Amino acid sequence: MTIGMKKREMTLSHKISRDWKMNKYKYLLILPVLVYLALFCYKPMYGLIIAFNNYKPTRGITGSDYVGLMWFDNFFNNIYFWRLLSNTFTISALSIVFGFPAPIILALLLNEIQNDKFKRTVQTITYMPYFISLVVTCSIIKIYCQENGLFSQIIEIFGGTRRNLLIDPSAYRPIYVLSGIWQNIGWNSIIYLAALSGIDQEQYEAARIDGANRFQQMLHITIPGILPTIMILFVLRMGSILNVGYEKVLLLYTENTYNVADVFSTYTYRVGLEQKQYSLSTAVSLFNTMVNIMFLVFTNWLSRKTTESGLF
Amino acid sequence: MKKLLVAVLVLCLALSMVPAFALELLSGGDTYPIDTDKTITWYAQGGLNPHEKFADWKESPFHTGLIRETGINIEWMFPTTGTDGGVYTNTLLADPTKLPDIMQGYFMDSASQYLDEGVIWDLTPYMEEYAPAYYAFLKAHPVYDKAMKTDDGKYYAFGFFREDGGWNDSYRGPVVRKDWLDECGLEIPKTISEFENVIRVFNEKYGAKFSFAWSRFKEGGLEGAFGAYGTSSLTYYVKDGEVGIAQMDEGWRNYVAWLNQLFNDGLFDQDNFSLDDTSIKAKIHNGECGISMTSMGQLNNWMKEATAAGSDENWVAIPYPTDDEGNISCIFGGLGIGTWTSVVTKCADEETMKLCLRALDYAYTQEGFLYWNFGTKGVSWDYDENGEPAFTSLVNDDPDTDPMIKYNGATWGSSCIQATKLLYLKNSQVAIDANDLWFYSVPAEVSSGWKWPSGTTFTVAESDELALIAANLGTYSSENFANFVTGVSDINDDSVWESYLAAYETQYNAERVLEIRQACYDRYLER
Repeated sequence: MTIGMKKREMTLSHKISRDWKMNKYKYLLILPVLVYLALFCYKPMYGLIIAFNNYKPTRGITGSDYVGLMWFDNFFNNIYFWRLLSNTFTISALSIVFGFPAPIILALLLNEIQNDKFKRTVQTITYMPYFISLVVTCSIIKIYCQENGLFSQIIEIFGGTRRNLLIDPSAYRPIYVLSGIWQNIGWNSIIYLAALSGIDQEQYEAARIDGANRFQQMLHITIPGILPTIMILFVLRMGSILNVGYEKVLLLYTENTYNVADVFSTYTYRVGLEQKQYSLSTAVSLFNTMVNIMFLVFTNWLSRKTTESGLF
Repeated sequence: MKKLLVAVLVLCLALSMVPAFALELLSGGDTYPIDTDKTITWYAQGGLNPHEKFADWKESPFHTGLIRETGINIEWMFPTTGTDGGVYTNTLLADPTKLPDIMQGYFMDSASQYLDEGVIWDLTPYMEEYAPAYYAFLKAHPVYDKAMKTDDGKYYAFGFFREDGGWNDSYRGPVVRKDWLDECGLEIPKTISEFENVIRVFNEKYGAKFSFAWSRFKEGGLEGAFGAYGTSSLTYYVKDGEVGIAQMDEGWRNYVAWLNQLFNDGLFDQDNFSLDDTSIKAKIHNGECGISMTSMGQLNNWMKEATAAGSDENWVAIPYPTDDEGNISCIFGGLGIGTWTSVVTKCADEETMKLCLRALDYAYTQEGFLYWNFGTKGVSWDYDENGEPAFTSLVNDDPDTDPMIKYNGATWGSSCIQATKLLYLKNSQVAIDANDLWFYSVPAEVSSGWKWPSGTTFTVAESDELALIAANLGTYSSENFANFVTGVSDINDDSVWESYLAAYETQYNAERVLEIRQACYDRYLER
């Protein structure tokens, strides 16, 4: 009772100083992150104003003429708008559907390996591609996809005809998604392996005594054990559903595959930086971000509903 | 007989051009070095990067030497390694309060806008006094003078010119394996039918295809033989004073239909769209290709590699093929005016601007011309027995790639005049012969007369409108070229062709874009 009374009497400054005394090192630890966020994520947001201006560098951000939603209007009525939207969405969705479970499966498989040496070798080999520069990776892919390249020869063995795969629109997305998996599977599995090591070993012991086989153990102990990690990463991934990086697309597409390959980021790059249309490209990016936020909130809500874990 | 006469005439014309361009430059050397303690910042988007062997410009004899020669402290700036130069320039321009004093990049298109907005200095009142050599040079060459000012006669930039007036602008063209030609008993192909025949014979005999690096073809291929003016990249051309879009012409249709036929017959290499100068070499040296299109530099590399490998392949340049009657509408070429220009930004105050003019003007004096092209006399070059500049062993025995760019600035182009002699010294005989053949086998109207001039300027209103309506034209034309060649869209089907053309008008505003371009071109002519 007396304690409760005291709490109510405590002033705000009191609370702060008490909190500071208790947690000062934690605050110090988080300070660099806060500075980073303020400088690189919040401060540049001021520049978003130019999406509503006819931005002229000399007049500055505030001095340029206000044009309202002109650039958005221009973009939504763009001939390529629907194509860009559907390409971005499809490529990203395919990457999530096939690319997201892949490292989880790899981690689960690795977890079942008893031979430590073999496990380490597999791990090292699978995350090696992650460290190769994207430009080099894409050159390798290009050479393999040539008319007389490796993939073409494999196709021929299975009764297909030799052709250059990169000028075939129907082959572009599989190449993009599969090469993405190849490049990231090992690296992305690390976090799941870490989560796996956190599962209480006694649970497995108990399950074994109850007569569960290894598959059942995985289904009922391992997967539920790492589910919170999976969900959080999934929510984060959904938050960037419309973010398809331009580098890899630029490196792999040709005029033949614009129809299935051109995405928001490549369009922004071509129009914004090559043609100096700062306002239009800002508008496109802003739109892109709004859609991402919508997906993030939705997935988070869904995750809370179903698994009771979420970001916020 | 008639052909011979034409050939002789062309040759005479060609030869007569050389002395016509012999440079008479102001000798302003006695006024340099200037006595000043001011420092100017000089940004160069491309062409002036220090040699790859140097950590930065402070190790580069050319960059430090220019400070010594002019007496002006220069703080050099270049795009960060690995970034696209144009993108880097645009990023700089996004904050006009912190620009370098001198900026070299592509400024001609939007010059009016930059002048209007006060990003760059209007140099007109200062030119004669502070850049006398450059001013005299422009006055002596009206074609250049026209290109270097805006429609209302304002000077704003220092340009890049080729002493030869365009020879080196035609640095790309068709090449063939001469040893295979001889083996098959074929003549050098002159017409497009003969060219096609070579592709077919090589394919039958060696299984080879028509391959090329995409970047060497997309801006200008073999369209001249079909009376067309462009290949894949959106191309504006001028014919009889009328501006047109190459990709909308009947000639272009015939050309692309021909490529489509080659593609269907398995003669046009499917990999062409994704080949670059490096990846094509496997095909060149493994007998997978016997006829191609490339640049003089690459041709030189191919031959060097072939010799080093002890291969007997013999690549030689051939003239651009004509149609069967001997007509040709265009080749890859230009007027000898580069699109690089250097401007002085408003971040330089008036005194600094005047100093910048002096620094830039040096390149157009007699002494500066030699320095920019060959470096320091007695160090990197000296006069040979014929009284012509020649590099010393410092350059000649340097095993690095393009060692002269350690000492000179005109190799790749900047704000200066590129000496023909430099190109002759830099390139191998194979490459020089190739360029001679590509350039001198056609009259000037074919090599450059059809080109959209590089010094045109749009008004601010025009730039704003083009930004809104013309952003997608390039994507549309190059995408359709690819689809027509591979047969995804059937170019022989009239209804497909009609709707392709109609879309230019209805969806891509081609009519309005051409109207703006025409007005811009007409103003250019009236300068």
